[in-house]
Amino acid sequence: MKAFAVALLVVVSACGQGHAIFNIDVLSFMQGTGKDTIPYFIPPATSASASTVQSITLPPGFGSSVVDSVRITIGSANLVNTGGSGTMGFQLFFAADSAGTYTAPVALNVPNTAVNGVQTVAVSISGDLSGLVDSLFRQDSVFMRVATTGTNNGLTNVTGTSILTALVIRVVLQDKIF
Amino acid sequence: MRTGVIVPALLALTLVVPRPVHAQFSLDARRIGMAGVSLGRDGSARRYNPAYRAVKNRSGGGPGQPKVTIPIPLGLITFFQDHPPTHWGSDPMFNPDDSAFNPVELMNLVLNPPLFYELKRAPTPTNDIEFTIGKNQLIMNLGQSRVLIPEQKFGLGMNGRLLDLGYGVGGVHFGVMGFMNYEIEFALDTALRRVLRDTVPVQPDSTYRILTDAVVQTGFMPTVSFAQRLTHGTGAVGADSTESADDGLYIGGAVHYYLGATYARGVGPAGFTVGNPIFGAAPGVLLDARAQTSNKPFGKGVGGDVGVAWISGPFEVGFGINDLGAELTWSDTKIQRIQYDAVGDSISVSTTANHVETKTKLPVSYLANAAIRMGTGTTVGGDVFNAGRHTVIHVGVEQRWSLFALRGGVARDQRKKMQFGFGAGVRLGAFGLDVGVFTHSSTLSETRAMTLATSISVY
Repeated sequence: MKAFAVALLVVVSACGQGHAIFNIDVLSFMQGTGKDTIPYFIPPATSASASTVQSITLPPGFGSSVVDSVRITIGSANLVNTGGSGTMGFQLFFAADSAGTYTAPVALNVPNTAVNGVQTVAVSISGDLSGLVDSLFRQDSVFMRVATTGTNNGLTNVTGTSILTALVIRVVLQDKIF
Repeated sequence: MRTGVIVPALLALTLVVPRPVHAQFSLDARRIGMAGVSLGRDGSARRYNPAYRAVKNRSGGGPGQPKVTIPIPLGLITFFQDHPPTHWGSDPMFNPDDSAFNPVELMNLVLNPPLFYELKRAPTPTNDIEFTIGKNQLIMNLGQSRVLIPEQKFGLGMNGRLLDLGYGVGGVHFGVMGFMNYEIEFALDTALRRVLRDTVPVQPDSTYRILTDAVVQTGFMPTVSFAQRLTHGTGAVGADSTESADDGLYIGGAVHYYLGATYARGVGPAGFTVGNPIFGAAPGVLLDARAQTSNKPFGKGVGGDVGVAWISGPFEVGFGINDLGAELTWSDTKIQRIQYDAVGDSISVSTTANHVETKTKLPVSYLANAAIRMGTGTTVGGDVFNAGRHTVIHVGVEQRWSLFALRGGVARDQRKKMQFGFGAGVRLGAFGLDVGVFTHSSTLSETRAMTLATSISVY
């Protein structure tokens, strides 16, 4: 993989001054592994969260580059609620390793959405992560944790699954690879 | 640190590169104004046609031609204003650590040294490039830089003679020439070319390859050459006219004993293969190259040049061919195999043979030229040149009125692109001032540049 990525870097360097832009379809790496689906179960009068962690492999050699921006340009999820009423939201955490995503500050907080009974609610996920995670995206890999958070103000359990349906991260670098 | 390497390398290349393009255009604004054609018997004709050693020198299109031509390097003035040498350490042009450093711009500088003033610069790709990566998706959008991906086999080459020292007696000339030859060829397979040039997505279960063949060799060659005028034209017998004094048939030949100083050659495919899905597993790297390097100097070989020229009144034609049979035998060569080791994700180099004999060849070059002086101050000429790569064709005309001259020409360059030139000159006493404008594609761009050349001639 390293050699292949280096080949990509040669292409980058050969193309003169400019930005190297990587559109990473994170969801495509999660689909088929079950990581795109997060079951949730929230007892009455409580809050709870559930999450999944995904590693993202990045081209090496950008350690000296300047990260212009990191954005989620395309992102969406379905809250497939199977019972109860409450509010559900999403949080994204990034770190250099899997464990670090549990202590990292929130990089993106998607506002809560109300769910009630058996229904599917579409949620949009987008935002600018620049400044918060720049240094991570200069490394060879980065770990992302997607957490579904919810509160239950009702009398019955809130149950269901959140299913990611799209997640594309766009990284813009001023490449300095020499 | 890197700047310290790049700048000397750039300067060295700048000194070397003008020589292979010499046949396309020179430092003479008169020649440049005719898109590179030479109407005289300048160094280019003698370089490629040994018969011209026997022809009286006439460096221009007619009588009263300059003894020497001095280029006026207006481009260097502009270049050093924009890039003061005292600031080269921090100049983005030479500093890879600078975010504005552009390797294409630096390469363009090497390929097109800024001797003359650029009226219109070829654009340097400064656009963004974009990669779309998914588990089963890889798209490379190189933007404007796609023009840098060749549609066909792409190569760089030079076969130059770096010096020519010697002494002649009669028609025989003894000398020593230096030679330097490099040939670098890349050939992308159709699939990879479409991925890079046409932004076609990488397909699962596919292989993408680039074939490379590169050789560099240099050395010197003791030379014995002979040139003789075989016939005298009827107008030349006792002729006082400069027009007819040179009439006749000329032949020439040279035998070179090549003594190669060193050489290196690398041949092999490289590329990558992807599975299904594309990033289901790490893409495999393909690399299985062979490298040959000389352990000792003095690769030996024999080759020669031949040429013929015929002059009849206002008409002149010549043909010269160089480095015939020039094959060098290197008695002590190391052959290495360079492979990608998938297990260690590294490059392995192993010696497959050592102290073995290998051979290299120098490309055959030829120059055919013709010119006719039409008696009304008009001279028309053309030449066809090939140095082992694509043929270059120049056609040009000069019209003189007393002290003034107008010039124009067209050319087909090594990239098979049409180029154009025009210019003018004035002679005042012993000095002349000439300007020439020419288009060229000497940069890594599909767009032509236009350069203004100026030179002073001393009569």
